[in-house]
Amino acid sequence: MSISDTTFKYSGTVGMQHEEPVLFEHAHEAPESINLPGVDGDISPELSAFARKTPASIPGLSEPEAVRHFVRLSQWNHGIETGFYPLGSCTMKYNPRVNEQVVRLPGLAHIHPDQPEETTQGVLELMYELQGWLGEISGLPYVTLQPAAGAHGELVGLMMIRAALDARGQQHRRKVLVPDSAHGTNPASATLCGMHTVELKSGADGRIDLEELKRHLDDETAALMMTNPNTAGAFESDIKEICRLVHEAGALVYGDGANLNALVGVARPGDMGIDCLHINVHKTFSTPHGGGGPGGGPVAVNEALAPYLPVPRIEKHGDTYSLVHSCETSVGPVLGAPGQIGVLLRASAYIAAFGRQHLHRIAEDAVLNANYVLNRLKGRYHVPFDGLCKHECLLTDEWQEKHGVKTIDIAKRLIDLGFHPMTVYFPLIVHGAMLIEPTETESRETLDAFCDAMIDIADACEAGDTAMLHDAPLKPFRRRLDETQAARKPVLVWPK
Amino acid sequence: MRFLPHTDSDRQAMLESIGVAAIRDLFADIPAEFHIEQGSLALGDALSEAAIMRKFTRAADKNRNATNTRYFLGGGTYHHFVPAVVDYIISRGEFLTAYTPYQPEISQGTLQALFEFQTMIARLTGMDVSNASMYEAATATAEAALMARRVTRKSRVVMAGSVNPRYRAVTANYLSRLDGDYVEVDMGCFGTDLDRVIGAIDASTACVIVQYPDFYGSVYDLAPLRAACDAAKCLMVVAFSDISAFALIESPGALGADIAVGSGQSLGIPMGFGGPHLGLFTCKQQYMRQMPGRVCGLTTDAGGKRGFVLTLSTREQHIRREKATSNICSNQGLMCTAAVTYMALMGDEGLNTVARHSAAALQSLVARLPAHVRAAQGARYNETVLSFADSAARDRFLAAAKERALFAGIPLEQIDAAAEPRHLLIATTEMVEADDINDYLDLLEVAK
Repeated sequence: MSISDTTFKYSGTVGMQHEEPVLFEHAHEAPESINLPGVDGDISPELSAFARKTPASIPGLSEPEAVRHFVRLSQWNHGIETGFYPLGSCTMKYNPRVNEQVVRLPGLAHIHPDQPEETTQGVLELMYELQGWLGEISGLPYVTLQPAAGAHGELVGLMMIRAALDARGQQHRRKVLVPDSAHGTNPASATLCGMHTVELKSGADGRIDLEELKRHLDDETAALMMTNPNTAGAFESDIKEICRLVHEAGALVYGDGANLNALVGVARPGDMGIDCLHINVHKTFSTPHGGGGPGGGPVAVNEALAPYLPVPRIEKHGDTYSLVHSCETSVGPVLGAPGQIGVLLRASAYIAAFGRQHLHRIAEDAVLNANYVLNRLKGRYHVPFDGLCKHECLLTDEWQEKHGVKTIDIAKRLIDLGFHPMTVYFPLIVHGAMLIEPTETESRETLDAFCDAMIDIADACEAGDTAMLHDAPLKPFRRRLDETQAARKPVLVWPK
Repeated sequence: MRFLPHTDSDRQAMLESIGVAAIRDLFADIPAEFHIEQGSLALGDALSEAAIMRKFTRAADKNRNATNTRYFLGGGTYHHFVPAVVDYIISRGEFLTAYTPYQPEISQGTLQALFEFQTMIARLTGMDVSNASMYEAATATAEAALMARRVTRKSRVVMAGSVNPRYRAVTANYLSRLDGDYVEVDMGCFGTDLDRVIGAIDASTACVIVQYPDFYGSVYDLAPLRAACDAAKCLMVVAFSDISAFALIESPGALGADIAVGSGQSLGIPMGFGGPHLGLFTCKQQYMRQMPGRVCGLTTDAGGKRGFVLTLSTREQHIRREKATSNICSNQGLMCTAAVTYMALMGDEGLNTVARHSAAALQSLVARLPAHVRAAQGARYNETVLSFADSAARDRFLAAAKERALFAGIPLEQIDAAAEPRHLLIATTEMVEADDINDYLDLLEVAK
C-alpha cells in the first residue's frame, strides 16, 4: 500500500463529494505566519542553551486554506445535526445550541482554576447548583463533578466503595460482581481499582439472575456493578431484592448510569437501593460527543459514601463558594482540575431548560420512541427478550443470518440508506446484537423512516437480494475499511 | 418543550400502535413505589432560552476573566491566544455532534483530523507515536506510570518532586490500590535535582517520571537521566504542562524520553476553569501496543482507497474487559480537533513565535525585578517562582495587583501544599504585553 493516495487528481467538490489531502500533502512553503501579540524580546541566554535543533515540521496553512481543509473534513462526518444516530447505550440526542453560547461567555471560558476564589464565585455557584440537581435527580445527594468520563466515574465510585469497606476493616472485600451484559469498562475499572471481577451469567430474560447473584455473594464481595435499565434495554424489576441481597452480604451496589436517560425525572436509582452512581452527562444531559469526547462522569453517592468523595470539593459556607482541597477521609484527587467544567455547564443548561416541570418528559419520550421502534420491527427481526423495553431496544440477526446476512451487513446497509448504524455486537449476551436507542429528540417521521429502512433490509434478505448487503456501504466515498491491515502494521503518524 | 419534536397527537398515535393506553404504562416494569411524582424534584423552574442566557450571563459576570484582567497564572493552565478559526471549526455540528468514529465510512473527517493531530503531536514532542488523546495531564501521567509497569514488568515508580503536585497526587492515588512502590523524590529547590532523582532508581524501578520544563518552570539537561534509565533498564517518562515550549527548546523525544505525557491546552483551548483540556500521550514506536486510549491508524478501503480507522482495539476494554490496558474508552476528540486546527494555523513559525514571546515576557520581567523579590535561578521557559520576604509582603502585592486588574501569580502553597506561603508561581504567554510587565514591576514597587 502506498501512503499517498493518487485517486484524486483535482481538489474540487464534485456532486457534493470531495477528496481532501492529508494536511502534510498540502506541499507548499508555509505562508506568512499568523500575526501574534506579545513581547518580541530576547530570551535568556540560559534558555537559549536548550534551543531545539531541528524544527518540528508542523506545516502552516494560510487562514483560508486551513478553514477549507477542516470544513471539508467536517463534511465527511455523520453528526447528530446531520442525521439520526440510533446508537444503543450512547444516547445520541440533539445538543442544544444555546448551551454552546453559554460555555463561550468570557466569564466562563476565560477563567483560570487557580485565580482568587472571590473572582470565580459565579462558576462555583453554577457547579454547586449542578451538584445539587444531580443529587436530586439520582436520589443520591452527595456529588462529585470531577470524573472526566463515565469510565473515570466508575473508577472513582469504586475507589469510594473500597475506602468505605476499608474503613469498616474489611480489606478482604475485593471481589466485584459484574453481569455479563455489562459495559466493558466496568471490569476494566475494577482492575484499575485493585479489585478483581467475577462475571454473573444473565438469566434467560437477559436480567440479573437472583440465584446466580446469591451463589457469588460472599464475605469477599465488595460490590455489584449493575446497569439499570440493563444493556438489553430491560429494567431490572428485581432491583429492590438485588440491592437487599447485596447489602445483606455486606457489599455495596454500584450503578452504571449510562442508561439514566430511561429514568430521568421518572424514578431515582438512589430510592431503589443503589449506593453509588455515575452519570454520563454527555448522554443523559446532552453535552456533545465531539467525535469521542470530552465527556463528563459525575458520581452521586448516599450519605454512607459521602465522606470518601474526592477532592477538591465544591462547598458553600454562608454566601461563599469554595473549592475544598483537603479532607482526611477523601479518596483523594482523581483529576488535575475541578472537572470538565465546560461540559458540566452545558449539562446544567440542559437541566435548566427542562426544569422540574418537564424533566420527566425526557425519559417518557425516550422510552416511547424505543418501544415504538421495537413494536414496528419485532415482526421482522428477532427480539431475544420479550416485553417492554426502556430507552433502547435489542434485536439480533438470527432471522437474517439464515439468508447469510449478519449484523455488520445490516449496519453497513443502513449507511447506504442514510442512517448511522445502531450499536452492533453489544451486549455480548446475545449473538449478533443490534442495540437501538432513538432518544427523545427524534421525531416520529425520523423513526418511521428508520424503521422503513430496517424493514427494507429485512425484505431484501428474504428476497435473497443479499449481495448489496455484503458490499455495503456503496454510497460513501469510502467503502468498508480494512481494520486488520491497520492493526497488523500500524501507521499512526504521517512520515516526515 | 422545544427539544421534543412530538405533538400530543403523535404520542397518542404511537401509544396506540404499541398497544398501551398511556406513557406511564411503558414504565409498568418499574415497581410503583419507585415512581416519583411529576414536578416533585427540587430543581429550578424550566427556563426559556432567553432566561438561560440571562442566568448564565449573570453568573459569568461574577467571574473576573481574561477579557478584563491580565493573567500571569500558569501551573498547568495557560492563557494563550486562540484564533477565531479554531472555535469556528469545533463549533461545526459535524465535528461537535459526532460520536466516536466506530463507523469509519461516515467518520473520515474525525479520523483524518485525529491522524493529523497524532502526527503533529508526535512531531512537536519529538516522539515516534501519539495516541488520540487522554482526559488531561494528571491522569495521563498516571496512565504513563501504569504503562511503564506493563512494559517493564516491574512495579516501582519514581517521581521527581518537581513534577506538578497535581500530576503527582493523581498518579500516587492511581497507584495506591495496586501492588508496587511509589517514591517521590524531594528536590529541595525550585528546580529539578537529577542527582537526587537518579539516586532513587533501583533494579525494581519501572520508570522515572520528571517534568520538563518542570513545575517551577526550570529547563534542565535530561541526558544524565537517560543514561541512568538505560543502566537500570527502566523507562524515562517526561511530563510537560505547556507544550508550546517545544517549539523553542529541545523536545522530550530528542532528549530520549520513552513516554512523554502532558497537556495540550496551550494549543487553542481556553482555560475554562480547568477543563475540558487536552491530555497528550506519546511514546516510542516499540511500546505502541501498550499505549492506553484510542489510536487512529491508516488503512485502505475495499476499493483500495486510503482511509483511516480506530485501531489496536484489542488493547481496549470492550474486547479485553478486565485485562484491558486501561479503562479509558473516550478521548478528548473535540479538543484534538481544536489543537490540530490551531497547529495548522500556526505552523512551525507561529508556534515558535508563541514560545519566544512567552519566554521573552518572563525574561523581561525577571531581569528587572526589584531587590526585595527574588526569582528562582537557572534556565526557565515561561514560568518561575518569585520569593518575597514573607506572606504579608506577597499578599499585599497580590491584592494591589488584583485592584489593577492583574492576576500576578498563584500562591505556591495553593498547588504545592508543602511550600512556604511566601512564594508566587508566575507564568507568561504571548498574551502578556510590554505594558503589562511595566505595570507588574510598578506594582511590586508600590506594594513593597
